[in-house]
Amino acid sequence: MTVAPPTEKSDIGGRPVPPSGWLGWVTSTDHKRIGLLTAGTSFVLFVGMGTLALTMRAQLAQPEQELVSSHLYNQLFTIHGSGMIYLVFTPFALGMGVYLVPLQIGAPGIAMARLTLLGYWFYALGAAVMLAGFATPLRAHADGWFSYPPMADSVHSPGTGTDLWIAGVFLATTGTIIMGWTVLRKRTYGMTMLRLPVFSWSMIVSCLMVIGAFPALLAALGLLAVGRADPSMFDQNVWNIGYQHLFWFYGHPVVYVMFFPYLAAVAEVLAVFSGRRFFGYKGTVLSLLVFAALSMSVWGHHMFATGQATNDYYSLTSIALLVPAGVEYFAMVGTILGGRLRLAPPMLFALAFIPQFLIGGLTGIMVGTPVIDYHVTDSYFVVAHLHYVLFAGSAFGLFGAVYFWFPKVTGVMLGHRLGRLRFWLLVLGTNVTFLPMFALGYLGMPRRISSYASFEGFGWLNLLSSIGAAFLAAAMTVFAVNVLWTLRKRTLGSAEKAPDDPWGGHTLEWATSSPPPRLNFTPDHPVPPVTSFAPLLDLRQKQKEETAADRSRP
Amino acid sequence: MKQRHIFGDVLALLGYALLRRRAGRQVTASERSERPRLEAYYVGVLVAFAAFLVAWTAWQNQREHESAARPPVRVDVSSFLWCWAFSYPQAPERRTVSGSCRGDDLPTLVVPTGHPVQLRLTSRDVIHSLWVPHLRYKMDAFPHHVNTFTLTLDREGRWMGKCAEFCGQRHRTMHFWIKAVSPEEYDKWLQGQQGAAV
Repeated sequence: MTVAPPTEKSDIGGRPVPPSGWLGWVTSTDHKRIGLLTAGTSFVLFVGMGTLALTMRAQLAQPEQELVSSHLYNQLFTIHGSGMIYLVFTPFALGMGVYLVPLQIGAPGIAMARLTLLGYWFYALGAAVMLAGFATPLRAHADGWFSYPPMADSVHSPGTGTDLWIAGVFLATTGTIIMGWTVLRKRTYGMTMLRLPVFSWSMIVSCLMVIGAFPALLAALGLLAVGRADPSMFDQNVWNIGYQHLFWFYGHPVVYVMFFPYLAAVAEVLAVFSGRRFFGYKGTVLSLLVFAALSMSVWGHHMFATGQATNDYYSLTSIALLVPAGVEYFAMVGTILGGRLRLAPPMLFALAFIPQFLIGGLTGIMVGTPVIDYHVTDSYFVVAHLHYVLFAGSAFGLFGAVYFWFPKVTGVMLGHRLGRLRFWLLVLGTNVTFLPMFALGYLGMPRRISSYASFEGFGWLNLLSSIGAAFLAAAMTVFAVNVLWTLRKRTLGSAEKAPDDPWGGHTLEWATSSPPPRLNFTPDHPVPPVTSFAPLLDLRQKQKEETAADRSRP
Repeated sequence: MKQRHIFGDVLALLGYALLRRRAGRQVTASERSERPRLEAYYVGVLVAFAAFLVAWTAWQNQREHESAARPPVRVDVSSFLWCWAFSYPQAPERRTVSGSCRGDDLPTLVVPTGHPVQLRLTSRDVIHSLWVPHLRYKMDAFPHHVNTFTLTLDREGRWMGKCAEFCGQRHRTMHFWIKAVSPEEYDKWLQGQQGAAV
């Protein structure tokens, strides 16, 4: 942040000087600070949840191991899953939106900034409350991220850990709903709906789903809380199956909330590093909207094996999803096919996203088909599927986004060589870890088991998967070193300074300085004319035509 | 599988782009931003494919739930923390087989080959799920609710079944055996005669 000279004081409305230091961060109404806080908090949690996963992979590396007790193991997978979904991927996506959407639409700030900040506080408090479960006598909640009753009632899951889990998830989700609402309310000047960048569109669609579907989770949690006070409630099947319906009404759209912003980040990266306009923009926008609408009608496909969902209906709506998904792939592949590809680190992650997410998506069609689902549901096949979607897909989009926007956010470039090393470690680790899980599930390994007998023959596949996890740990270490080292060099002033537009970007955030000033655009860095969804590309093309015309003149 | 074709196609296009469209190869980026007609045809193909899948799935669902012509053999399956109990209401004296699921003490579900077997599945406490990986089938067991499904085993043998819905401490060892025997042997076993099954 630059210190404004006194003459410019009128620009900030003559308000009192904001506090500095950490207090300044947690009380700031600057959307960039709130966005960074959210992304930073979720990143720290990401590392923590990843560590839990590594412990689980160590436990499963060999049959009949006793590294951790089965009760601790149950806590590990519960907090890993809940943490990654409620506290990492969803908030990080919204944090990116809070940071980027105002910049991309040329606005000086976010609508309802105080409410956005409140959303962050709820989220951070919820995370703290959930993790506090580890400090209670019976330890943390141990009933999985979807915590079905009656298993999660006070008879079968006694202890404060579960109550804290309910409260924590409730708070964090309330926070994300508030943030989603404020991102959505962000309206623009001069920018028509079909000139919004793909990323901003993805945030609009995600926020629609947040608002439409997340309250169902709050209702489910409320139901669980009441049931814990009076366990006899779960003596009626309607509450047990009702919980599942409410939960999955939230549980499917949330997958897309954890997916669209990263998909759109990939789309922006692909277009910029292909040196051309994103191909099939209108189709993509339309497909996002169709996707969001359908996402709220497919929840029953998580419940085929309950014997209490209408299979034909839910498999119909689930299969229909392949149409918008296919349109998005058409656009992504079309973009690179006609491009001039520069393989910088953000582009590497974006390119790897394409086939890896496809594995997750295609196996998704398989598990959405009841006849196949009856076999593979609740097995390691599903574990593999969801990690291909969330890790090989969304996380690659996330890291691509971090490499892409790092220069804009910090004003310095992130080391390229470590970025490449990290990329290859991550690709190797991801596929070696998660590919064997498809086979394990198919061969009959159920989810959520703390160990397995040696005669079942799951040993070597699990060992392979655990070796892959070690590569993931190495990749994350390289990443952390890269980021911390670069930031340290920035403090010392020896880091490579980032220009305003290091990549040849298309969208408005690349027109302002790196990092952007408090109100995003200044007279030195005005908002350029918005002529399409890639205004900076238009500007460059126009300049090129003008210089060509100048040269042709005698 | 169709999935493999789609994956292969996308991989081929990706490989082509990586080999032919790298900046080092002096290509120029296309200025075209959309091809609506091609996209429309493509969407048409996708919709047709989706329609085919929907029809195929619906047909499979139908087949899955077809009721058998012969009256099925009935077995009541009750799951509990952390084991299974199998009762045979059609036996002369009601027969129940259970176990503790500790060590080798696994209960065995005995069924005749070639006969439809109707399992009526419920739970005494939390939600469990009966999964026989060999049969590629599973069904949840809910408390205060009965799920029914019918299976037919064609050959004799013994396979392991598991609990697939997380149910706490000993979820991972909540196994049972499913044993298919010839109809004659099954009848003998049902009468409670020695020398048969378990």
